[in-house]
Amino acid sequence: MSRGSLFLGDLRFLVLTAVGLALFPLVLHPIGGYAGLATQIVIISVASIAFNLLLGYAGMLSYGQAMFYGGGGYIAAILLLRAMPQHPNLWLAVLGATLVTAVLALLVGAVTVRLYGIYFALLTLAFAQMVYFIVEQAKDWTNGDDGLQSIPNALLPIGPWAIDLQTALPSLDLGPFGNLGDVKLWYVFAAVVLLLVLWFTRALIRSQFGEVLTAIRENEERSVMIGFSAPLYRLAAFAIAGALTGFAGALKAIYDGTVAVESLSIERSGQFVIYTVVGGVQTLFSPVVGTALILYLENILNGKIAYWRLIEGLIFVAVIVFLPRGVLGTLLNRREKATSVFRRALRPRTEEPESLVKPGAEGRRGGVTSIIETFKLGKLFGHFAAVRDVDFKVDPGELRAVIGPNGAGKTTFFNLLSGTIAPSSGTINYKGRDVSRVSGTSRVHLGVAKAFQTASIYPEQTVMQNCRLAALARVQGQFALQVFRRSTRLDAVDAIAERALERLELTEVADVRAGDLSHGDKKRLDIAIALATQPQVLLLDEPVAGMSKDEARKTESLIRRLSTEMTVLVIEHDMEMVMGLSDTITVLHQGTVLATGTPQEIRDDPRVQEAYLGGHTEAELAH
Amino acid sequence: MEALIQALLNGLVQGLIYVAIAVGLTIVFGTLRLVNFAHGAFYAIGAYVGLIVTQHAGLLAGVIAAPIAVAVFAVLLDRVVLQYFYEKTPTAQILVTFGIALVVEESLRLIFGAATQQYPMPPALLGAVSLGIIDYPAYRLLFAGGVLVMIVLVWLFLVRTNYGLIVRAGIRDRIMVQLLGGNIRAASTVVFALGAAVAGLVGAAASPIYSIAPETGFAFLVPSFVVVVVGGLGSFWGAVLGGLLIGELSSITTLVYAPAANVIIYVCMALVLLFRPQGLLGESEVIRQS
Amino acid sequence: MAATIPASTTRLRVEKINSYYGESHILRDVSLTIGAGETVALLGRNGVGKTTTLKSIVGWVKPRSGSVTLDGEELVGREMMAIARAGVSLVPEERRIFTNLTVAENLKIAQVTARRPGWSLEHVYEKFPRLRERLTHKGDEISGGEKQMLAIARALLQDVKVLLLDEPTEGLAPLIVREVENVIREIKGAGITTLLVEQNLYSALAVADRCYIIDQGEVKFEGTPQQIRDDADLRQRYLHV
Repeated sequence: MSRGSLFLGDLRFLVLTAVGLALFPLVLHPIGGYAGLATQIVIISVASIAFNLLLGYAGMLSYGQAMFYGGGGYIAAILLLRAMPQHPNLWLAVLGATLVTAVLALLVGAVTVRLYGIYFALLTLAFAQMVYFIVEQAKDWTNGDDGLQSIPNALLPIGPWAIDLQTALPSLDLGPFGNLGDVKLWYVFAAVVLLLVLWFTRALIRSQFGEVLTAIRENEERSVMIGFSAPLYRLAAFAIAGALTGFAGALKAIYDGTVAVESLSIERSGQFVIYTVVGGVQTLFSPVVGTALILYLENILNGKIAYWRLIEGLIFVAVIVFLPRGVLGTLLNRREKATSVFRRALRPRTEEPESLVKPGAEGRRGGVTSIIETFKLGKLFGHFAAVRDVDFKVDPGELRAVIGPNGAGKTTFFNLLSGTIAPSSGTINYKGRDVSRVSGTSRVHLGVAKAFQTASIYPEQTVMQNCRLAALARVQGQFALQVFRRSTRLDAVDAIAERALERLELTEVADVRAGDLSHGDKKRLDIAIALATQPQVLLLDEPVAGMSKDEARKTESLIRRLSTEMTVLVIEHDMEMVMGLSDTITVLHQGTVLATGTPQEIRDDPRVQEAYLGGHTEAELAH
Repeated sequence: MEALIQALLNGLVQGLIYVAIAVGLTIVFGTLRLVNFAHGAFYAIGAYVGLIVTQHAGLLAGVIAAPIAVAVFAVLLDRVVLQYFYEKTPTAQILVTFGIALVVEESLRLIFGAATQQYPMPPALLGAVSLGIIDYPAYRLLFAGGVLVMIVLVWLFLVRTNYGLIVRAGIRDRIMVQLLGGNIRAASTVVFALGAAVAGLVGAAASPIYSIAPETGFAFLVPSFVVVVVGGLGSFWGAVLGGLLIGELSSITTLVYAPAANVIIYVCMALVLLFRPQGLLGESEVIRQS
Repeated sequence: MAATIPASTTRLRVEKINSYYGESHILRDVSLTIGAGETVALLGRNGVGKTTTLKSIVGWVKPRSGSVTLDGEELVGREMMAIARAGVSLVPEERRIFTNLTVAENLKIAQVTARRPGWSLEHVYEKFPRLRERLTHKGDEISGGEKQMLAIARALLQDVKVLLLDEPTEGLAPLIVREVENVIREIKGAGITTLLVEQNLYSALAVADRCYIIDQGEVKFEGTPQQIRDDADLRQRYLHV
C-alpha cells in the first residue's frame, strides 16, 4: 500500500468519525438523552477502548482497570487542587495523571503479565483492591470516603488564551434534535479527544506492534518460538491501556468536578468489562458502541424502573451466551462473512506442485567444531527422568536424525535444544557458547528454529502472514514499540517470507487462511515459518508424521536440500523412514543415547534392535 | 493477650466462612475446570432463603432449607447455562459467571431491598462461653464447630464414598472415567450442587454474625478467590489452609494496624502468585491450563 | 464373564466408518469384524488411524458415517459411558491411570462404575501379583509396566465383552514387554474377545488369530499372521519392516 492511499484512508476515517461524533449529542436528544450524557459516554469510551485493547487484541482479561481509571482521577484532582490551586492547568493535570498511571501500569504489569486467565484476572483485581484501600486510608490527600470535590474544571489554556469549557455552543434550534445551545464546549473537547484516541488505537492495532500482539494472542507458543518476547509485548499493551485508562479517569474527574473511591472499586472495573463485552471485543468501535448503549439505557431506565441493574446484568449475560462477538461485532461479522465466502469461492484451487528433482546433498561436512553440543543433559518431570545424561554433538551443516521408540524422550530433548524448557542438569553449547539458561526466544535470534510435531501455526492468518510474522521477528528483534509503523513498510519482511514459502512450495496458497490448509500443508507451513526466522540450526519434530506418502517424499527431499544450507536435526519415530535420509543417526531410548552411527551401524546394533523390537530378534519373525 | 485470643478466634470464624466458600470453588474448578464467579451468589441466596425461613420457622429450619434451595438453584443454573461453558476458555467462564453474579445480586436487591439485614440471634445462643482467659459468644463457637464438621463431612464424602471416588478420578481424567463407564456428568452435577449447598448453608448460618445485603455474595467471593489462589486452585486442603490463613491474617492485622487490614490479603495473594504461583498446596500443572 | 458364544458369531462389527478430526478425514470406510473369543490385531505405521479406529468404536471420536455394532446392537451415536457400560472396554495408549488415586482406588473405581462385575479382585491379584504389592502407592509412583498392568486390570474387573488394547507394549523395557505379552496371552486364554493395536509387529503376530493392516485411514489387508510373515513385500509397503 502506498503512503498516499494510507493517508487518504486515515483522512476518510477521521472525517467520518468526526461527523459521527458531531451528530451524536443531537441524535441522542430525540431518544431521551441529553448533551451532558454524550460527554460522559465519550469520555468513558476512552477507558473502554483501552480495555478492549487488552481483552480483544492482547487476550488479557484485567479485572483491575479501575485502579488506573480512579487513580488517574485522583492524580489529576490532587494536581489541580494542591499543586496549582492558583492557576489550574487542565493539560498539566491530565498529562501528570496519564504519566503516573502509565508508571503504575508498568509496575503492576511487570508482575502480572506472566500470568494467564483466572490468575491474571485475580492478580489485577488484587492490585486494584490494594490501590482502593490505600486511597481510602490516605485521608490527608484523598479525603477518604468523601472523595475530593470542587475540582476546577472550566478553563482549558490554549496558548495565551483560556477557553471556558462550560461555555455553550451558539443557540440554534434544530427541531427534533434539540438545540445546539445545549451542547457545551466540554463535549467538543471530549469528542476531539475521543477522535484522536480512536485514530491512535486504529493505527496501533494495524501497526507492527498490533500485528505482533494479535499474533501472540492467537498462538503464544509459536510467537515465542519465532523470536517475539511475549512478556514484553503484553507488558507494553498493559502499560498503554493503563495510561489510556488513567487519561480517561483524569478527564472524567475533571469533567465531574469530583472524584470518589467508587471510581477505584471492583464494580467500576466490572463496568469496563460489561461495556466492552456488550459492544464486542476485537473491533475498534465496539467499546464505544457498548459504552453508549449501556450508559444510554441506564440513563433513560434508571430511576424510572428499579431493576435497571438487573436488566444490565441480563443484557450482559445474554450477549455472552448468544452474541459472543458482541453487538457491533456480530453486525460487522455478518457482513464480513458474506464477503469472505465470496472471496474464498473466487480463490483458485491450486493443484499440488510437482515434486522437484532431488539434488544430492552429500559430500559436504567442512566444520570441525560442533554447532550444537550437549554435556550430561538431563530433564526431570517430577521423579521421572525424561532425558538423562545425554552427550550429543552435531557438526555444522550436518543432517542428523534422532530416532527412538515412543516415549524415548525425543521431543523433550528437542524442547531442551530449542529452549522451550530448561534443563534440570547438564549444559547445552551452541557454537561453543553455553546457552542452557538462554530463553527459547533468544535462541531463535541466535539461529535455532523449530518446527513442531503438531503444526503450530496462526490458523486465522493467511499463509503468507504466518511467514511474515517470523520474518518480522528476524528483522525487528524480540520487541519493538512500533505503534505507528506498519510492517508492510519493511521490504525485507516480505522478501524473507516469500522466499520461505517458495522453499516449501506454498506460494500458490499464500493468500489462503492457514486454518483451511490440509494437514500436510499445515506441517509444511510450520517448517516455512521456522525457515523464515533464517535459522542456522533447524529442528524438525517428526516432519512427515501424518503426511500422505507423496507429501512425505517431497518433504524428505526438501529436508535434504535444506541441509545444504543449514544444520538440520530431524526427530523421527519410524526407524526405516530416516535410514535413507541422513548420514548419521542418534538413537534415544528411555531418555539416554543408545547409539550413534551410520544407518547400517544402527540397523545392525543389537541394542537398537532390542529397543525397537522389544527383545525379539528378526529371526523370531520367521517362526 | 486477651485481645490477641479474641482476634485469633474472630479470625477463625471469618476464615471458616472463606473456607466454606473456597472449598466449593476449588472442587468445582477441580472437577469441571469451571472458574465460577457466581459462587458468592450461592452464599447470598442461602442467607436470604435462611432469613425468610428463619422468620417463620426458626433458625434451625432456615439453616436446613437454605442449602437445599441453593442446591436446586445451582443445578438449574448448571443445566441451563453453565454446562455450555465447561469447554470454553477461562475468560469466557469468568465473564458469564460474573454476569450471573450480577443478575443474582440485582434480583436479590429487587426482591429483598438494598438495605442490610440481620437475623435475630436465637435467644438460647445469645450468651457467651467462658474459655478460661476470655469469654466468647456461644453462637460463634457453635458456628465454627459446625463449619469444621461440615468440612470434614465434605472431605469424607470425597474420600469414602463411591461418588467421591468418581469425582476425584474425574479431577484427573474425565475421559478415562467415561471409558470405564462412570457417569461423570452426574458426578459433576452432584459436586456442583454440593459446593453450592455448602456456601448456602454457611450463608444462612453466618447471618446472625455478619449482616447480609445483596452485595454480600460478591463481597465474600473476592476474598474466597484469594483463599483459593493462595491455597492452590483445585486443592481441597489448600482451600482449608488458605482460608484459615487469610482469616487469621486479616484479623491479626486489624489488631495491629487496622488501616492495613483490607490490603493485607491482597498483598498475601500477590506474594504467593509471585513466588509460588501454583499456591501453597497446589500442583504446578494446573496453572497453565487456566 | 459373559457366556461364551461360539467363535463363529460376530461380536463386534465395524462397518464403513468415516471419522474426522476437525476437517481432517482420518478414517475412510474402515470395516472390521471380530468374532466372539477372537484376538484380532490392527497393524500399521504411526499416524495411520489405528488409535482413531479404537476411539471411534468407543464413542470418544464420533464417526460421521458408518456403523459399529456389538452383538448386533448399534453403538454409533451413543455416549462413551453407555458404550463402556455395554461392555466395550478401551485400554488407551497412554494408560490413563488416575495418578492422584492409589492403585487400590484405581481398581475400586472400575468396580464401582461397572454395570456387571467381571473378574474378582482375587483373580486380578493372582494374574497381576505386582499390583497387590503396590496397592497403597499413588498412580504416579508405579512403573510403566505396572501402569499397563493396572490399566488392563481395570478393564478386566468389569464384564468386558470386547477388550480394545492400544499399544500395550509401547515405551516399555524389553523384559516388561515380555510380561505384558504374557498377560495378553492369558486374556486370550480366558476367551476374552480382543482387538489389539500394535506397532510392535512381533508382539502382535505372536498372539493374534487374525490381522488387519491399516494405512492412510483405509484397511489395506485382512488375513492371518502367517500371511504377513510370509509376505515381505506387504510388510515393507505398509509396516516398513
